[in-house]
Amino acid sequence: MTVLSCSGLKRRFDDVLAVDDVSFTIAEGETYGLLGPNGAGKTTTISMITGVLERDAGEVFVDGVAMSTHTIAAKRLVGYVPQELALYPDLTGRENLRFFANLYGAGRRRVEFVLDVVGLTERADDLAREYSGGMKRRLNVAIGLLHEPRLLVLDEPTAGVDPQSRNQILENVRALAAQGMAILYTTHYMEEAERLCDRVGVIDSGRLIAEGTRRELVERLGERDRISLQLDGDLTHAASLLGAIRDVRGVAPHGHGLELVVDDARECLPAVLSAISTNGVVVRSVEVTEPNLETVFLHLTGKALRE
Amino acid sequence: MKVLSIGWVNVRRVVRDRTGLFFLVALPLMLVFILGAAFGGATTPVVGVVGDAGALSADDAVRVRNFPDEPALRSAVEHGEVSAGLVRTDDNAPRLLVRADRTGQQLRMLVTTSLTREANRIAAGEFVAAQTGLDRDTALSLVDSAGVEPVEVRVSTTGEALFPAGYSGFDLGAANQLIVFTFLNSLTTAAFLVETRSLGVTRRMLATPTRARTVVAGEALGRVSIALLQGLIVLVGSALLFGVRWGDPLGAASLLCAFALVSGGAGLLLGSICRTQQQTTGAGILLGLSLAAFGGCMVPLEFFSPLLRKVAFATPHGWANDGFAALTRRGGDLLTVAPHLAVLLGFAAVLFSLGAWTLRRAVTR
Repeated sequence: MTVLSCSGLKRRFDDVLAVDDVSFTIAEGETYGLLGPNGAGKTTTISMITGVLERDAGEVFVDGVAMSTHTIAAKRLVGYVPQELALYPDLTGRENLRFFANLYGAGRRRVEFVLDVVGLTERADDLAREYSGGMKRRLNVAIGLLHEPRLLVLDEPTAGVDPQSRNQILENVRALAAQGMAILYTTHYMEEAERLCDRVGVIDSGRLIAEGTRRELVERLGERDRISLQLDGDLTHAASLLGAIRDVRGVAPHGHGLELVVDDARECLPAVLSAISTNGVVVRSVEVTEPNLETVFLHLTGKALRE
Repeated sequence: MKVLSIGWVNVRRVVRDRTGLFFLVALPLMLVFILGAAFGGATTPVVGVVGDAGALSADDAVRVRNFPDEPALRSAVEHGEVSAGLVRTDDNAPRLLVRADRTGQQLRMLVTTSLTREANRIAAGEFVAAQTGLDRDTALSLVDSAGVEPVEVRVSTTGEALFPAGYSGFDLGAANQLIVFTFLNSLTTAAFLVETRSLGVTRRMLATPTRARTVVAGEALGRVSIALLQGLIVLVGSALLFGVRWGDPLGAASLLCAFALVSGGAGLLLGSICRTQQQTTGAGILLGLSLAAFGGCMVPLEFFSPLLRKVAFATPHGWANDGFAALTRRGGDLLTVAPHLAVLLGFAAVLFSLGAWTLRRAVTR
């Protein structure tokens, strides 16, 4: 069942077209990663989806409710965790949650529940300014969960947090998705996107330029696994031997060895090593490179994700 | 409900700030005290006495403080611990040491009158004793019991007194401090609104099922509540601590509310325009003190030139100041300050409209 459906989203700031015709959907229990370099239009897209920013064109439906005509009803279905620590530093964690609970129409029992979910119950009466960076991030996430939203929008929720808090946040996200919540997730950390997201959309210069699962994106771009071998012995003979293996698509010299382009490195590697060792060539090192989202991203945008 | 919630968070944040609390509570009341004492508080002047204070002890207009010898008394007068000193020994005629200030001169008259009255009583007693053969004490009590028909003195007052009888420096200072601090603190605490925006809390509120106008109304309510709280602290605090009289209660309450609305509106506008907290505090202090000066909060409006008076009445401070003066100095009531209220509400309407429009624009762009 589709929870979020946005189509033809467009937003212009003066002369800059920040978001241009962005459309995608997120199903129940699905985690969708929105990736893009800085200034690509991620936050603007999220702001339109959460109803914070007016759209120049396009429509957002949350659980079938249109944001343009039933704004308040649609907002009730969306939880928003912004990139910045959007909470009052001079209120306690519990006071911050109670304040937003009032705005969401959530009860006090729910406040205690989310405190427990993000592991802040024991520090709930400390001022937020006294929290560590990770605790502040967890409180930031907790606010977005207060009203049991159908769609949770997380804008770089783990930026600058310690590994322990990051793991806790990622675990929370996974658990929420498992409960059926649809999740829209942006991050600068590619490994997070690979670990968490069922599907990924790549946005650049305001346009959604690619979308799909990691495997779909990799295949669509023609990217393949690579095996780099450092060898001692007759490289020409080794190249001809390896080129004859069924899954090997190409062989090229690479330093003091060879680089193979293969369909699936893990499946192919035993056959490669066996072919070499039985023909008197000594293997000094082996390196396997599988195309990941970073490779896809670089290929699509010409930039690293953190640029 | 959401408006109240947003407004309440604003008040709570200001009250929780310890430095801010000093400026909100302690400083205004301290200034009321300092200015009241400096410009003539309603305190009883103190006269130092070496020897028998005589009839001065029973005089309500002065307070007597005894000294062991003349050098100690002279030192106390010179250091301003007492405003005058009386040396009465059996050997010499009474001698009076006075400071060259207003209170010293006032005491010279009071002490001289008291000593003269006392000398007259003793002279009359001795005369009665000599004529009748009665002992001295009986003769003195006979003198005390003798009724003298008072001389009727007709008093006509010309012109209008700037300050009515009994109007103390505390009364004047309190009204001024109320206006200064209500406006000033409303502007400086607008830094919290800037912080709320820069932290992204306002945008986050907009992501909740809350309309933009509700968020703006909540922030506006917060600003007005802070201004009202500040005004109430000065009004109630000065009345309880220094006995300040605020005139007609309904008039004073209405003026306070109207001026709190003006201050809240100004705070909302400043907090919506400024981008950093430092900008807000700096601009707040500059505007708050300038308008206070032009509005007659530092020097009474009556001392202003005609041109400066026109300038004063172009500021909300001038109208609030004149309104409180009408209540406390001219015996006015709610009806008297109706024009002041109307002008202040006009200022408030303009400031709120601009502030709400700017804030809404700042958070929804």
